[in-house]
Amino acid sequence: MKTAADVKVSVFGVRHLSPGGARHLLQYLDQVRPTAVLIEGPSDATSMIRDLVHPSTVPPVAVLAFTDEMPVRTALWPFAVYSPELQAMRWAAKHKALCEMIDLPSGSALALQDLRRRTEEEKVSRKAAPGAESEIEPPSEEAASIEPEGVEESEAETAGRSIYERIAELADEHDYDTYWERHYEHNANPDTYRDSILAFSAEMRSLGEDRERSDQPEEHAYNHVREAYMQRQILKAVEAGHDPSKIVVVCGAYHAAALEHPAKGAMSDEELASMPSRSSKLTLMPYSYYRLSSLSGYGAGNNAPHYFQLMWEAMESGQPEDLPRVYLSTTARALRASGTHRSTAEVIEAVRMAEGLASLHGGSAPTLLELRDAAQTLLGRGDLSVVAEALARVDVGTEIGSLAEGVSQTPLQDDLNRELKRLKLTKYKTAVATDLSLDLRENRRVSSQEAAFLDLNRSFLFHRLELLEIPFVRSRPNNADRAVWAEDWIIQWTPEAEIRVVESTLLGETIEIACAHRLREKLEACTSISEASALIGVSVRCGMTAQMEDGRRVLQALAADSRDVAQISGAASRLSGIIAYGDIRRADTAPLVPLLEQLFFRGCLYLSDAANCNDEAAYGMVSAIGELNKIAQEHDDTVDVPLWTQELNALSERDDRNPKLSGFACALLLERGEMDAEQCAAEVSRRLSPGIPADLGAGWFEGLSMRNRYALLSRMSLWVQLNDYINSLGDEEFKRALVFLRRAFSSFSAHEKTMIAEALGELWGVNAEQAAEILTGELKEEEDKMLDELNDFDFGDF
Amino acid sequence: MAAAHTQDTMRLPAELLYQQEIEVLKKEDKGDVPPGWQMSPRAVLTYITGGKAGKLDITPKYIGNRRLVEMAIATLVTDRALLLIGEPGTAKSWLSENLAAAVSGNSGLVVQGTAGTSEEQVRYSWNYAMLLANGPTPEALVRSPIMRAMEGGSVARFEEISRCASEVQDALISILSEKTVSVPELGNETSARKGFSIIATANTRDRGVNEMSAALKRRFNIIVLPAPSDLETELSIVKKRVSEIAASYELKASPPADEALLKVVTIFRELRSGMTLDRKEKLKSPAGVISTAEAISLLTNSMALAASFGSGEMTDEDLAAGLQGAIVKDDDKDKLVWKEYLDNVMKKRGSEWRGLYQACREMNE
Repeated sequence: MKTAADVKVSVFGVRHLSPGGARHLLQYLDQVRPTAVLIEGPSDATSMIRDLVHPSTVPPVAVLAFTDEMPVRTALWPFAVYSPELQAMRWAAKHKALCEMIDLPSGSALALQDLRRRTEEEKVSRKAAPGAESEIEPPSEEAASIEPEGVEESEAETAGRSIYERIAELADEHDYDTYWERHYEHNANPDTYRDSILAFSAEMRSLGEDRERSDQPEEHAYNHVREAYMQRQILKAVEAGHDPSKIVVVCGAYHAAALEHPAKGAMSDEELASMPSRSSKLTLMPYSYYRLSSLSGYGAGNNAPHYFQLMWEAMESGQPEDLPRVYLSTTARALRASGTHRSTAEVIEAVRMAEGLASLHGGSAPTLLELRDAAQTLLGRGDLSVVAEALARVDVGTEIGSLAEGVSQTPLQDDLNRELKRLKLTKYKTAVATDLSLDLRENRRVSSQEAAFLDLNRSFLFHRLELLEIPFVRSRPNNADRAVWAEDWIIQWTPEAEIRVVESTLLGETIEIACAHRLREKLEACTSISEASALIGVSVRCGMTAQMEDGRRVLQALAADSRDVAQISGAASRLSGIIAYGDIRRADTAPLVPLLEQLFFRGCLYLSDAANCNDEAAYGMVSAIGELNKIAQEHDDTVDVPLWTQELNALSERDDRNPKLSGFACALLLERGEMDAEQCAAEVSRRLSPGIPADLGAGWFEGLSMRNRYALLSRMSLWVQLNDYINSLGDEEFKRALVFLRRAFSSFSAHEKTMIAEALGELWGVNAEQAAEILTGELKEEEDKMLDELNDFDFGDF
Repeated sequence: MAAAHTQDTMRLPAELLYQQEIEVLKKEDKGDVPPGWQMSPRAVLTYITGGKAGKLDITPKYIGNRRLVEMAIATLVTDRALLLIGEPGTAKSWLSENLAAAVSGNSGLVVQGTAGTSEEQVRYSWNYAMLLANGPTPEALVRSPIMRAMEGGSVARFEEISRCASEVQDALISILSEKTVSVPELGNETSARKGFSIIATANTRDRGVNEMSAALKRRFNIIVLPAPSDLETELSIVKKRVSEIAASYELKASPPADEALLKVVTIFRELRSGMTLDRKEKLKSPAGVISTAEAISLLTNSMALAASFGSGEMTDEDLAAGLQGAIVKDDDKDKLVWKEYLDNVMKKRGSEWRGLYQACREMNE
């Protein structure tokens, strides 16, 4: 670059989201009437200025930069209506002046951000090692207040706290935000505004710069690189023929001093060529005040966006002194809307009080803090919780931005809109939550294929959105009787959903591709067969057959190493459900059948081993065995049923497995008709013969009684044997057995208990009704006491 | 009030106790003084929250949230009546006394609200002997403190307003909105001069006893005074007040060591919040009030004990006696709560607490 060394341009330093700054900037522009307006912002976003100032673009909107390769990095540049930058763009558009963004292109910003993050992490790990952390807080660099910009905000905020607190203290203000509002936003004099903000940031910079250079060299270097690039861009504008005195640079006040003389230290061509960069894309997206406020933790904002909008509007109308009245009466209206009545007299008193508070600090107008205090005292009658919600509404606001149709949307946004149109869902795109019930079955009364499966296709889309974590739809559990073919959804459009859509662009250009990518990621990350089988379920619900195949492969690989019968049976039962009902979603589930066979086979093989467990694990095993048994019944044409019977038999006969599971296996055999009455009687007498320890005998009975109870109830011989067994037990043994028996019978219904009573009554020769009364009635005090004593029973030896 | 009079007064009002500070603040005051006030709002703020006036250090009177004090002063500047609400012992009366002392130099215009307070005490009554002898004359009129404050353009105080019957409370409505008291017997009315205002206090524990009417509430700016937000704030409040009270009572005991203060405030904070300071253990709270003010009086009590019956050094036994009295009010239940606290929390606190623990246990037997 060969330009005279003493080029001097006009620089207007601003705080990024500042109505006062915007107001004074507009006056300054009117006064200078520049031919070029250069704005701090990613230089590749210059092409978006046209869309940003488009009359149907409603702020808040944001420029979103994202890398189009892994690892994904994003950066946001949000604009509210009171952003000085946005107002400068509008001014330039109106006055046909050149308007350009001059900061590092987003690709370089993201690459450098990456670099800084990495060195930061290294530093943290290095710091942690010797254990000698320095007491001195890292200095501020870019003041949160002067530079609230997507990338830098969060770090600057934590780092710079102490110095801002000190400024606030010196100025006798409660916090830095109040200091700023009183001294800069309320400053009505344009010249002193520009000068004082320049002086302030120059001082801040000189205070922090040396420390920054030594403590945070990366940050320092990053600022330096940015400024050099901005200087280069300014010189380019000069070269293009703009009179330097007719160029206005709008930038964060922190950079103002450095940019005034752009010839000093501008970036050379070689330096530019060697700058790291990552491939990245930009898009515009609607933003919300909620996101803009720090409430959502997204950084990059001020804490009361709607309040600042009110301030901007009051300034626009030329009556900034109206703000307290507008603010407090809006709050009172919000309170009334939610059912708390507050009178106009109280609003008047609140305005007076806020003004009184401001005058205590020598201010000309109340700040947000004072308005809130006044609202709490008068409108909340001292109680913050009364006004908290109304205040949040007025401070933060619920406004969302919008873009003109077809403006710089990402492919994924386009794709979603197309899909919504195709599936006749556009009318659901509102901020009000709507219910929608889907019937997945083919609608035979319509002519076209598309219409016949409309609801099914909607369901696919909703499940895909759910997979992408786009909070546009929420599923609602429905009745079991229609669970197979119906789904209930709640649909609600929010800016967060739109933001998620844009962010998901990184995964693919269409919803389907993005889902495929997400599923693949999840499959790669999954480590257990239950996760894998769940993912197969997800891919079927999303209507993504190819991914179902991937899932099948992953599950197969994982299953080959698994010996956990509970997990195997869980996965198998999920597959079985998919195979049984897959055709309602028109999914070809045939490839899953061999896998189910395989899983079932493994479940059989390891059953006996797994049944060697304690009572606690036996709970899980009972349901696992139940699930496998159900599969054996439902898919008897595919799975190896004889093997299953054989394994059940083995388990039923063995004495060295958990007795409860052996009993349960026996019950299943009875139920399947694999064991006849004679065999059963033999088994019962073997298990319940005198001399068998109570926990084994009664535990086995507990397992047996878990299935087909009516068959047991009607078998008189069983009760005779049980009766004899109990009679044979000694007192101490009986107490042990009682624990198991009580548990076994606890799940019997009153009706079943009556039937047992009848059986026992017959056995003991007493009146059946009397016996039933005793068995189903409330416990007497004495009995209660005896049972309580059992609680002291020593279970240690089980 | 004569100077000689102040020598043997048990408790001096704020305007005499801090006479020097007020004088200096008035002299150094550069701000605009609202009509009827004796100093500017900023000077009042300095008087309450502490700072410097000329070369004199102004002691902070209210330690805690500065914004609350600002809100209170802004209320008085705008001629509004102020209502301070809070748990017992959150310095409501103390703040109202000092505000009145700073704003109008007289904190003595007080109506003490009780169940027996009548409307006459809020408005005016008669000297009946004179009334019978001469008929209604201005001389026979007995003005209430509020009426005198209206005539003098100063701040009146209404303590424990929620303890009064509703009809008495409602007598304030016309005073606050019309700013006049009419005396039909004399056929005239007293209008408030500029500077008149009322600071009322109410207790949250009395909520629902005599709930204030919406019409009356609307005429007050309501500020809720919280219990001290953290241990350090409460410590400094207790420390400051204990030494002030000890000085004015001429207690011949040395002020309590920081360690004893820390222990008392810790115990109070834990019992009040129902959990230990590290938030790890839940505790039972006693039924009675355990406010900062109680901690202060407990410590001065213990000092008095030490001075009168002991060596002059406050011992663990003196502290234990004070704690017992402050915490165990509803005999049986509180005794158990206190015992539980002693054994579950204090016993495990290590050797510095051992002495106090032993003393408290003996006392609680």
